[in-house]
Formats: sequence, structure tokens, C-alpha cells
Amino acid sequence: MPHRALSLLLTFEDQLRRDEAQSPAFLHRRDRNFALARQAEGKTTEVRDWLAHLQRFNGPESKPANDRRLIRWQHINAGFALLGLLLGSLTMAGLMFYDGRGRINLTVIIAVVLVQAVLAVFTTVQALAGWQPWRWLTRQLALADAGGTSGLRPLHPQLMARAAHLGGLCFGLSGLATLLVLVTVKDLAFGWSTTLNAGAESFYSLARALAWPWHALWAEAAPTLELVSQTRFYRATGGYHHTDPQLWGAWWPFVTMLWFAYVVVPRLLLLWFAGGHLHYRAGQLLQRHPGRMALYERMATPTLDTGSTREEVTTAPDLATATRLRPRPATCHAVVLWAGADPRSPGRALPDSQGPVVSAGGAASLADDHHALQAVARHVHPLAHPEVGLFTRAWEPPTAELADFLEQARTLWPKHTRINLMPLAADPSTPPPPHQLAQWLRFAERQRDPGVIICAGVGP
Amino acid sequence: MNTAPTFAVVGHPNKGKSSVVATLSQNDAIAIALEPGTTRHRHQYPLTVDGRVLYTLVDTPGFQRPRRVLEWLRAHSLSASDRAETVAAFVQQHRDDPRFHDECELLSPLTEGAGIIYVVDGSVPYSAEHEAEMTILRWTGQPSLALINSIGGDDYSDTWQAALGQFFQVVRKFDAVRATFEQHLTLLNAFGQLEPAWEAPLREAVGHLSARRQQQQQHAAALIATALVEMMAWREQKTLTESQLAESSRDALIEQLRNRWFDHQRRREQRLRTAVEQLYQHHHLQRQETELHWHSGDDLFSEDSRQLWGVSRGYLTTAGFGAGAIGGAGLDALTLGTSLGTGALVGGLIGAAGSYFYGDKLQFPALRLGPLGRGLKTASFGPVQDRQFGYVVLGRAVHHWFEVSNRNHAGRDQLRLTGTDRHWLEQLDRPSRQSIQRVFERCRKQQTLDSAAVQNLTAAIGAAMSIYSNWRLNPP
Repeated sequence: MPHRALSLLLTFEDQLRRDEAQSPAFLHRRDRNFALARQAEGKTTEVRDWLAHLQRFNGPESKPANDRRLIRWQHINAGFALLGLLLGSLTMAGLMFYDGRGRINLTVIIAVVLVQAVLAVFTTVQALAGWQPWRWLTRQLALADAGGTSGLRPLHPQLMARAAHLGGLCFGLSGLATLLVLVTVKDLAFGWSTTLNAGAESFYSLARALAWPWHALWAEAAPTLELVSQTRFYRATGGYHHTDPQLWGAWWPFVTMLWFAYVVVPRLLLLWFAGGHLHYRAGQLLQRHPGRMALYERMATPTLDTGSTREEVTTAPDLATATRLRPRPATCHAVVLWAGADPRSPGRALPDSQGPVVSAGGAASLADDHHALQAVARHVHPLAHPEVGLFTRAWEPPTAELADFLEQARTLWPKHTRINLMPLAADPSTPPPPHQLAQWLRFAERQRDPGVIICAGVGP
Repeated sequence: MNTAPTFAVVGHPNKGKSSVVATLSQNDAIAIALEPGTTRHRHQYPLTVDGRVLYTLVDTPGFQRPRRVLEWLRAHSLSASDRAETVAAFVQQHRDDPRFHDECELLSPLTEGAGIIYVVDGSVPYSAEHEAEMTILRWTGQPSLALINSIGGDDYSDTWQAALGQFFQVVRKFDAVRATFEQHLTLLNAFGQLEPAWEAPLREAVGHLSARRQQQQQHAAALIATALVEMMAWREQKTLTESQLAESSRDALIEQLRNRWFDHQRRREQRLRTAVEQLYQHHHLQRQETELHWHSGDDLFSEDSRQLWGVSRGYLTTAGFGAGAIGGAGLDALTLGTSLGTGALVGGLIGAAGSYFYGDKLQFPALRLGPLGRGLKTASFGPVQDRQFGYVVLGRAVHHWFEVSNRNHAGRDQLRLTGTDRHWLEQLDRPSRQSIQRVFERCRKQQTLDSAAVQNLTAAIGAAMSIYSNWRLNPP
């Protein structure tokens, strides 16, 4: 059960790591599509479903059981289990050491058992509190490497507790097995002894209390007052009493059950609890994972595309031009005012005009344009080098209408007529800014007509 | 029934039609240049929510021969009732005529039912010469709105407004480069007012855009928080053999590791900036400028940066008291309250004293050498011990976020990041200060951060961003 939760957490974190390089727009679109599809089918959108959805498109993957981060913890568990088996056997062999000269002191066995129980409880408490008294050990085992263990790091207290309980369980089981073997193959003599001024009744009460869990199941495993009274020994007397030798061995059921009930069973229960706690904590981590919150936000939020990713037009036009401004002519034989341009503002220095001044373009009709062209044609036809001034508004970009006008002019006016385009600034006191002149230079270049030039200096 | 409206952005050449579309579609890939005829074909920019189109913007070429078109229309129309039909007939007849390519491109969406967004430049004087194209647009009979965009510095918008009012249902001023996000939404609402059936989709679009704006700010705060934690906790490490260690001097090793540490921090900051720019759909910001430009001396590690973006001693002291008090409160909890809050008080005083005495010292991380085994040693540099470093990074990140989030997609000038002269963070509420300070402390001590601490930091950065934004938009 915890293995599944851990696998889910690790797989989720792995997916988040893969997503780091993706664009937020892609992630949003992918996850929102998934959520909408699932909702349409009336299915849930849990992390497990989401991962399965992503995996479906990737083909078969390695089994979670093969995750090397989990394998490392399996190795740690195995190490603790082996250590527990070894130590349990050695500890029991030490406790049951009997060479016939003394007695095996039950007081010591009870103390060891109770210490084991306390250690088991402490292990669980530290896991619940999130302490890591064994942090040095995890560092030694290089668990905090850069191999992506961040998902497991907050679970180290629980993982270590589970390993410790497994070790403790193995310790208890091997100790129990050793005890049973020794009881079978050796003649053990148990007794109890203490420096304290405690009578047999007190020890009997303690033993009965300890035997409470099993006294109804196995009456022989609960000591009687007679047994307690008869098996007390003192080192000063050399351990010799007039006690029935069979009574010295009658304690073994009690010792067996004591070990089983206070060493094996607590470890077993706490191991089961540690597994559940690990599962719960892994689930809790997943629930509170910032990546999960972000995922759910992406699923719940509609994808909004403003058209920001469309790139039909990405290249700006080439704004370079070889055409240069030319000096304005001193005299114009005719003047055309294009689209409302009016050079007759106070303060403007203009070339002399010796001919007609006509308006065209803009609000004028196409017929007006034609009349203007003919009026100019009549005037410039007899001239050897006709110069026509065509005033425009510099800020209004040249359009195809002007190109049409110039094309018609070429057919009506003499071929050698020079057409001087003179853009005017909005402010009569200043010349047109360069960016406005540039569009006129490029316009003249596009006309491919050497007789069409842009003149500078129509200003104060 | 599909009620998603389409809006054709039309007008005279070079009046900022593409700028308007770039800003409204948040697309910085649209070519914008001071050149008539940059746009030769119409381009559609639909706004979709989960694939459902709410409205579509169409960028069109400008009018090239409006008088000739109008002459044709007048010649083929008998009465006012057939004008829209005559415009459609014009498009049909001239679809393959290169002379009227631009007119057909801009009139086609109108004949298909698109609303008219007519764009003029309010920085140049009004001229009656544009009336031919306005008349053509009126002949289409489509709902219309005129936008007075300002490309230059002069303002003739009042005369434009009076004139445009005679041809268009609604007239609005909208600076495509400098308009705020709220003005952007107001304009979309105005689009919805043109036709009753268009109101609902436009209102829905505005709702989604507003919600996304808030999410973007939260995401930006999360990005900054992640970068801040990484930068504060970063350690530069190098593995050396005993002989290598003996050969190189300690100073040279420190210099080498420090340079690598600085480079890493600079690269991480650049990554953060790129991520924030992508979040706000500024995909071409870096391409427009080879790299973010900083004024001379405004480097991440300069003393100028520290002066601009660091916080005062008083700020650090109060934040340090709060962070220390929280640590001390843990002691109180351990004693089940029998210490009567002494732990919190002592912790607070220690935190405050530390911040007061060391807060304004530019402390850089020191070199540490440690055994690695098998005759190898590891030399590490970092994490930074200077609390001010975090505030410098935070200040620069929030400033960059503000500039990017308030930049319109029609903008083509360089993103210039300049400093400010106030310690705006001092307006931050106390819990947010403490959240930031606690994270800095934990990073400094190489302690792990749980997700709650990162979330608190993100929330505190979000608050700092709001304060900075308010401070910039409403200067004292």
C-alpha cells in the first residue's frame, strides 16, 4: 500500500520535472483538454488518472517497482531486517546464557523486553513528530543525493521508522526462535532476583500484570505465587535452595509469551502502522504538493488564446533606400497641391511658380485630377526643361492614388518633365522629420522613374 | 448559432492598425513599422476560450484607392438601400484585380458581417481627405467604432473626435503602445456595445482576460519565489584532490568559486526574466534587443543596486524580530507554555539584534572545505549570508515584472529597466515581511523549506508586487 503511494508521488514529481521545460501555454492546453475530456465522460481527474493519461501516449514504461529510489529503501529495509535477525539471536543467546552455576534472572529479561517496547514506541513517536534522530545515517547512506529524491526527503522519518520497525520485528522473531531452540536443547533454570526490598508478592503482582494479555489463553504461561516464591534466588547463597528443579524451568512459557507479547507483537503492529502512516504522509504530500495545486488550477481554468502565438507576419519590411533628397528647384513651371497640402503658409520659403497652381487627390474627384493634369500639360508642353512642383503632406503616407496620378502625368506631360515631390511638415516652422521623409523616398524609389524626385528643405 | 463577432481593423495606411491588433491580441510578433503597406493581407486573430471563439480581430491593409472605389460604388448604386450589396459586388468583381487587392482584403470581412474598427492617427491634423474611405465604410452598413490612436507627440484628437462622430457610432481614444490593461478591457466592452448580440461574448472575453491577468500575477510571484529561494540557497561546489588543493592558493580558489557563483546568480536571474516575459506573452522581447539593457553600474552585485533595492536597517530589524519570535515560540510550545512566551521574546530580540548589526554589511559567502573521501576534498562557496542580497534580487525581479506586465505588445522599443529612489518594500505588511525574512534565514542556514513556507513566500511576494504596482501607478 505505501509502495503504491510512494510510486505515485515519485512518478508525479518526475512528470513535473519533465514539464519544467515546457511552455505554460502548452501545459495549460494539455491539462485543460484532459480535464474537459474526463468531465465529459463523467470520470474523475485525480493525479493517478492524469498520469495514466500521459503514460498512455508514451507506450509501456518501466514498472514502479524498479524505481531505483525505492530499491534503495528496499535495500535499507533488508539491511535492517538482517541486522535485526542477527542481533535478536545474539541478544537472546546472551540473555539465556546459563552454565549451571547461577540462574537466568527474569528481572533482566523483563527489563530488556520493556526497553524494547519503549524503543518501539519512541520510533513511532519520532516518525509522527517528524524528527530525524538518524539523519546522520541517511546522509551516510547518501540518500540525499541529487538523483531526484526530493519527493522522498520529507518522508525520511516515516521511511526510517518503517525500516527500524522491520528490524525490530526481525529482532523479536529471531530472539523468539532462539529462545525456543534453547528451551528445547538446553536445561535452563530461571529465577528472579533483585537488590530491592521487594517480596514475592510484589514480583508476583508484576508478573501477573505482565501476563494479563495471555493469562486466559495459556494459563501455564502465567506464574503462580508459589512459583514466584520458590524461584527467588540470592547470589550470596550461591543459588542453592531446596527447590524442586522442575520449578526453575517452569518459567519458560512466561518468558516466551513475554517476549512475544512485548517485543514481537508491538513491532508487528507498529510496522503495520508505520506502513499506513507512510501511505498517509505520501498521500498528504501529494495533496499539498504545489505542483498538484498548479495542475488542478490548469485543469479548472479555461485556456485563453488571444491570438498571441500566430505569426503570419513576422518580418518587418526593408526600410533601407538608396534614394536621396535632392535640392528643390528655384522655379517651378506649375504646382500641384496633392490631397489638401497647402504650401502657402506664412513663413514657408517656396520656389517661384510661373504657371498654374492646381489641386488634386484627397477630397477632389478623379475628374478634378484629370482636369488638373491637363491644365499642367497645356502649360509645360512648349517648355524645354519643365519643372513641376507637387506638394504633399509629409505625414500622410503616399498611396496608390498618387502613383496613379504620376502614371497619368507621364502620359499627358512631356517625357522629360521633372516632377519635384515636396512633402510639407504639419508645423510650417519646421522641416518634415526624417521618418516622414523616408516613406516618400521609398515611394519615389518604387516608381522607377528618374524624373520623380523628392526635394528637401521645404521649411522656414 | 455562432454569435462570435468579428472586428475588422481598417483605415488609412500607416495609422497604427497593426499596433491596435498587436495590443488587443497580445501578440508581439505582428510586424509594425513606420511604413505604409506593411500589411498586405488580412490576418485573423481569434480570441478563444477552450477552443471556442469569442471574437476575432482582423488586421487589414490600408486604403490605397478609396476615391476610385467610391466612384465605382456610386456608379453602380441606385439608392441607399443597395449600398451594402454594391460594396459586396465590388469585392466580388475586383477580387483578382491587383489594383484593388488592398481594398478587397479590407472590405471582404465587412461584407461577411464584421464590425468596423476604424483607426486614425490623432497626433496629425484632421483632414477631410479621408472622407472617401469613411464614406465607403459607411456604405457597408456595419456597426462601426473609430479609434483615435496617437503615434506622434502632438494631439489633434479633439478635432478628429468631432469629425469622426459624423461617420461612426462610437469614437474612442486608444493609445496602442501606452494604453493600460484596464483601457484595453474598456475598449473591448465598447466593441460589445456596437451590436446587442455582441455584448455577451465580449463581456465573457473581458471576464476571462481579467481572470487571467490575476493568475499571471500569481504565477509571476511563484516564479520569483522559486528563483529567490534557489539564489539564496545556491552553493557553488568544486571537488579537488589533495594535491590540487595544495597547489592552488586559498585566495585563487575563492576567486574562482566566487566568479562561478556570481555567474550562476546572473544566469538564474536572466532565466527568471525570460520566464516572466513568456508568461506575459512577450515572446520576442529578447529578439528585439540582444539582451536586457541595464544602466551603467546597475549590475546585480553593484553597490548601486544595493542602495536602490536593499531595505533599511529598521525594516530588517522588525522583520528579524518577527522571524526570531516565531523560532522562539517553538521553545514555548515545547515547554507547553510554561515559559510564558519568554522563548518568543528572546528569539525575537536575538533575531532583531542580528538583523540590526549585520543587516547593512555586504556579506558574501565564505569558502568552506570539507572531506569527501578517497583523498578528495570538496570546496563550497555559499549560500549567501547577506540578507540584503535577497531584497536586491526581489526588488529587481518585482521591478522587471512591473515593466513587463505593463508593456503593450505593440511596443517595439527597448525594455529599459531603471532604478527607483524609494524603499517601497517598507510599505509591506508585517506578516509578509516575516515570511520573506524567515525564508531568507532558512536558506542561509541551508535548512529545507516545506511547501507551506514557499506558499507563504509566494503570497508575500504577491503582496509586494501589488504594493510596488500601486506605488508606481500612484506615485506619492
